[in-house]
Amino acid sequence: MTLRWIGIGLAAIGLVLTLSGFPGLFGTRVDYNTQIKPLLNKHCIACHGGVKKAGDFSLLFEQEALAPAKSGRRAIVPGDAAGSELIRRLTLTDPDERMPLDHPPLSDDEIDLLRTWIDQGAAWGNHWAYQSVERPALPAIGTLWSRLGLFDSDESRWARTDIDHFVLEKLRSTGLTPSPEADRATLFRRVAFDLTGLPPAEAAVNRFVHDTRPNAYERLVDSLLAHPAYGERWAGMWLDLARYADTKGYERDGGRTIWRYRDWLINAFNQDKPFDQFTVEQLAGDLLPGPHGGLPTDDQLIATGFHRNTMTNDEGGTQDEEFRTAALLDRVNTTWDVWQGTTFACVQCHSHPYDPFRHEEYYKYLAFFNNTRDEDVVSDTPTLRFYKPADSLKLVSLTQFVATRSATAARDLTRFARLVEPKINSHDFDQLVNASLLDAKYFGFQHRGSARVRGVTLTNRPRLLVAWGTNASDAVVTIRQDSLNGRVLATVPVPRTGNAWNDTIQLIPLPALTGRHHLYLSLNSPKTPKEWVLIKWVSAQPRLPDQPVMAPGPQEKQLLALLNADPDQTPVLLDGQGDLARPTHVFERGNWLVKGARVTPDVPRSMPPLSADQPRNRLGLARWLVSRQNPLTARVVVNRIWEQLFGTGLVETVEDMGTQGIPPTHRELLDYLAVDLMEVDHWHLKKLLKRLVLSATYRQQSSVTPALLARDPYNKLLARGPRVRLPAEAVRDQALAVSGLLSPKQGGPSVMPLQPDGIWQSPYDGASWKQSLGDDAHRRALYTYWKRTAPYPSMITFDSPSREFCQSRRIRTNTPLQALVTLNDPVYLEAARQLAQHMAQRGQTPRQQLAAGFRRLLFRNPTPGRLAVLDRLYRQAEAYYRQHPAETRALVDCLDPSPQLAALTVSANTLLNLDEVLTKE
Amino acid sequence: MNNLLNELHQTAARQATRRHFLHTCSTGLGAMALSSLLGGCGFFDRAGQPPATAPGPPADPTAARPSPRIAKAKQVIYIHMAGSPSQLELFDYKPELVKYNGKDCPQALLTGKKFAFIRGTPKMLGPQGKFAQHGQSGAWVSDYLPHLQGAVDDISFLKAMHTDQFNHAPAQLLMHTGNARLGRPSLGSWVTYGLGTENDNLPGFVVLASGGKQPDAGKSIWGSGFLPSVYQGVQCRTDGDPVLYASDPAGMSRNIRQQTIDAITELNRQQYADVNDPEILTRIAQYELAFRMQLSVPDAMDIKSEPAYVLDSYGVDPARGSFARNCLLARRLVERGVRFVQLFDWGWDTHGTSADGSIDIGLKTKCRETDRPVAALLADLKQRGLLDETLVVWGGEFGRTPMQENRDGQTLPFMGRDHHLDAFTVWLAGGGVKAGYTHGATDDIGYYGVTDKTHVHDLQATILHLLGFDHTKLTYQFQGRPFRLTDVAGKVITPILA
Repeated sequence: MTLRWIGIGLAAIGLVLTLSGFPGLFGTRVDYNTQIKPLLNKHCIACHGGVKKAGDFSLLFEQEALAPAKSGRRAIVPGDAAGSELIRRLTLTDPDERMPLDHPPLSDDEIDLLRTWIDQGAAWGNHWAYQSVERPALPAIGTLWSRLGLFDSDESRWARTDIDHFVLEKLRSTGLTPSPEADRATLFRRVAFDLTGLPPAEAAVNRFVHDTRPNAYERLVDSLLAHPAYGERWAGMWLDLARYADTKGYERDGGRTIWRYRDWLINAFNQDKPFDQFTVEQLAGDLLPGPHGGLPTDDQLIATGFHRNTMTNDEGGTQDEEFRTAALLDRVNTTWDVWQGTTFACVQCHSHPYDPFRHEEYYKYLAFFNNTRDEDVVSDTPTLRFYKPADSLKLVSLTQFVATRSATAARDLTRFARLVEPKINSHDFDQLVNASLLDAKYFGFQHRGSARVRGVTLTNRPRLLVAWGTNASDAVVTIRQDSLNGRVLATVPVPRTGNAWNDTIQLIPLPALTGRHHLYLSLNSPKTPKEWVLIKWVSAQPRLPDQPVMAPGPQEKQLLALLNADPDQTPVLLDGQGDLARPTHVFERGNWLVKGARVTPDVPRSMPPLSADQPRNRLGLARWLVSRQNPLTARVVVNRIWEQLFGTGLVETVEDMGTQGIPPTHRELLDYLAVDLMEVDHWHLKKLLKRLVLSATYRQQSSVTPALLARDPYNKLLARGPRVRLPAEAVRDQALAVSGLLSPKQGGPSVMPLQPDGIWQSPYDGASWKQSLGDDAHRRALYTYWKRTAPYPSMITFDSPSREFCQSRRIRTNTPLQALVTLNDPVYLEAARQLAQHMAQRGQTPRQQLAAGFRRLLFRNPTPGRLAVLDRLYRQAEAYYRQHPAETRALVDCLDPSPQLAALTVSANTLLNLDEVLTKE
Repeated sequence: MNNLLNELHQTAARQATRRHFLHTCSTGLGAMALSSLLGGCGFFDRAGQPPATAPGPPADPTAARPSPRIAKAKQVIYIHMAGSPSQLELFDYKPELVKYNGKDCPQALLTGKKFAFIRGTPKMLGPQGKFAQHGQSGAWVSDYLPHLQGAVDDISFLKAMHTDQFNHAPAQLLMHTGNARLGRPSLGSWVTYGLGTENDNLPGFVVLASGGKQPDAGKSIWGSGFLPSVYQGVQCRTDGDPVLYASDPAGMSRNIRQQTIDAITELNRQQYADVNDPEILTRIAQYELAFRMQLSVPDAMDIKSEPAYVLDSYGVDPARGSFARNCLLARRLVERGVRFVQLFDWGWDTHGTSADGSIDIGLKTKCRETDRPVAALLADLKQRGLLDETLVVWGGEFGRTPMQENRDGQTLPFMGRDHHLDAFTVWLAGGGVKAGYTHGATDDIGYYGVTDKTHVHDLQATILHLLGFDHTKLTYQFQGRPFRLTDVAGKVITPILA
């Protein structure tokens, strides 16, 4: 008893101390970040920020805010509120002078706060998320309080991991207590969906429920993390960020083969590739050194598909450079969204309105990405080519032949054969005469037409490779040096390919030259003067060793055969070198055609600098992003993963950790986990996930009392477990899995499962939805062919983005259209039929069968109340189908239709639509 | 208090017999469950504020509610021409601009300005339409819109609209959500949140798109943002099934479907009793709405029952989805008590890069496709006595420049104008708007508004005002502060109020 009184006394003292620590009271210091910056953002920065600087005054950067404004007066004089123009203008009564102009005045309290802050020296602060991540102290739990006899040791008994300490600390300050652990079946279902995106098998749940070993749950978690479905589930999340799609977007939205990147992701997650390496390979895999100075591994190249998922525009009349630039900007914005949780896009046109990024810094950052060879060309070049086995062998023997003569030549050969780079895309030809960019895509000319290929370095490159075609007969192209009347370098008949768009690659021997030259191409085609000769690209290459000077040699012919083969391909990033390197300029006011000052690659000044020992290219940038000093990356990753498990991030605005984002609910916890991820887990996400799901916080039951709901409607304090509707993929995968339809096949080209007619409208390329057969009709949702302008309907209905741009967060909705999908979409009806078959075999009586269906989905027996509802429905349906044999046949659609099976199908359809089935509880 | 208001409202609804006939006043089990569970919970207090703690939906979140103040408009048809029509070809007559046609744009107009595509010094471009004054009100309308010319005496024009965003997606977001970034509720969501729907069997907020594409900003411009998701717009397809998967599977009779929904509702209700998650109540309501929609949506969308002269007046080809059909559907939907019908028509972005995207060819075609149905919609609403209580809004997301676009500094093959944020025209009709009135004017070349400028937020404030809301009081508490459609701005445009 006495102890308790002491405890209450101490608590009272603690309360006074807490209050006295409350900023603003008792004359303590005003904090810029929490008290001043929100005021400035709300009232001032729209006119005095990164976009507008009314009166030449901005509050975005300290130096600007303290400098004299246009009026000559200083808005903020540190230490002297009375002498600060800011305070004077806020307190005037004349509406033409008083700030904020045309808006209600600030409250007296707000003005007082600003006054105090200025009098205290107007100390500027750095937004929390831009400060380096330090490990916060682990809050003590239980001990003191239990010693004092209050709350005894409930806390220490409840807590399982460090995470729980932070959660408890917050709960304690609000007088809430955590919820008990969810029952084992519910917990298994929750963690299975979270880690693998699939429901568990009934037998596995039974084993776990009866597993009495103390580490049963941890073993379960380990097995889920090791399951191949794990990679699919997390790749699914990453695909939204990578804006992965099987089409190119924009108006024509033609197909793109880039599924190898998706498979790379699945493997990367399954192998638990550390996030730093995962980052470097996706952003700069092409710049990693390969074995013996050769190409990086195929996997590292495929990984760069991340940024080849940008849209390309094949629409006629569009400028390739405009859409190359659009893709480039998207890469910058996406990199910031994904790794830095920062909306950087606004800096494209002006300094960031709220956060410390300057306009020119956007372009310094863009310079990292501006040098890649992809140029909005229809073929999606550059691509990595995967030769068929026979061709692969030919390439090996060809490479061996060259390697025995020159190692360098062999490396160049491999690069060219695998990537067909470097090359000059024909949209860069200029001085066109009787020529045009056909459909605004590729260069074409007619009889007496000509064009210039600008500045081609020809030193040691006496082979001009040309990809071209025509339907003209006897068309001849003459190549001249440096002018239309210059020295003739070659005169070549154009191969007749039947159609100018069907190209074939040819090798044209040139005389030995040194230096850079313009090549002039002119066409003589008098027989069919209106037929076009179309050129896709040209490339000046060295002669392979031991080949004749003025004709393609035997090995060169082998190379041509390989180049003209039709291998599978996947788009990759590849930097241009030498002639093909691009300078970067600031775009004035974001306008790509108005080039301002030239800039070189760099990161914003408000962030830690690039390490001096790293190259100033994408590789250096990628390593910078995952360096220990980067304040954002680890926080963003932890927050993203947290959001996936708990439904809401510790920072709810996963996409924005800046000053306009929502402040974190548990900032110390976020930092603690971020430090752990980098320093303890060495970026292994499986370890992070394990930490999260082993916590008592995660394991709590998700039911809520009305009182707790009123206190914390959005579960920000984490006094209960997450209860969240399943994501689109899991809704579908669950229906297929529980009905036994789901194919376990992993990877490969995207598939086209059942889809209603009329979803695709492709007026241009005539692409159509060809329904996949066999296993491919029932693959996991992430393998469904993704057309950007017409995504799979049920995915969109359940809140998938269209994947045109990176989307950090899916906003969950709850709509009648979702109900119509799970009730009536033929996919779900098929699942119900199959589930009904299972139920029929799992009991003698309808009640047993219904209970079996319920258990298959929710891993517990239905309560008598629920079973009664199901039983009533079954009996109604059975009676109906007994009277209606035609309806029975139509519904169950199998060899052996019976009213009982129809009634079970109706019951299964009902079960698949229960809230608790669609929800992760 | 709330019950009393509801009762008053229902009495009023009963008196509007014609429309009441079309509303099937069924109340689902879910709604009943909700009412009994949260029955005492008022949706608004008298100041129009939502209750302080609104963890989940209030008792029947979509039940019709009286507006806090006397309202002229009860429902809205918002016609958005996505891509933005040129005001200079349609409404904003600038004879001075004819004189400047083909001359270099004065530098003064370019300094410090940014455009989506104009580079360097573009040429001025005179109006392409032939203008005349029409009606008693003498409103200027060009020959691009011959049918609308006859309707001007029902319309209030806002000739000096301006916005902050010059790209489609952000400008559309600003127009419909009050903010250029993703994540805020749309106008239709705010309205259905505030007023509910008068037909339990249809969504309160329906979206119809035509023109072959979705608007650039995608479904975010009819999303519910941070409002409960029941308030988001429901897009109905104009070809094939109006709503995907609306038909029951073969062998599933209506009766069986009713029984399955009843079972789902009952099982979900039991689950709610166990775990108290208010999201379950929303799901119950959504399943019941889905069930009712399966019948009522195809019925509302089925124009076969319309007499031929009505189809003709709109210019509807019954076999084909079109803007004209959407106009007719809009009338059918408001007639059935749908609160907010949002029409989007794609294809108004007339830069001059192609014939379709030009102001002399493409814009004419778009006008030909849409002029007659819009005029017919106004006439039809009027004839049925619906125009008085239905606010019709027409506009794009921004305006177009008095200069001819010179993309890449080059002369484009067709005549076109770039995006312009300083001047454009929006019009409103019915629902308490002054008939035959023009508000605001631009300068001699239509570059800037010079008198009675109105911002996007002002338009939004006015729409809410006409529906009986003080736009500063229709708020939703989110992340510790009240949010509203008009952010911290917006002034009701009182001169256009009837």
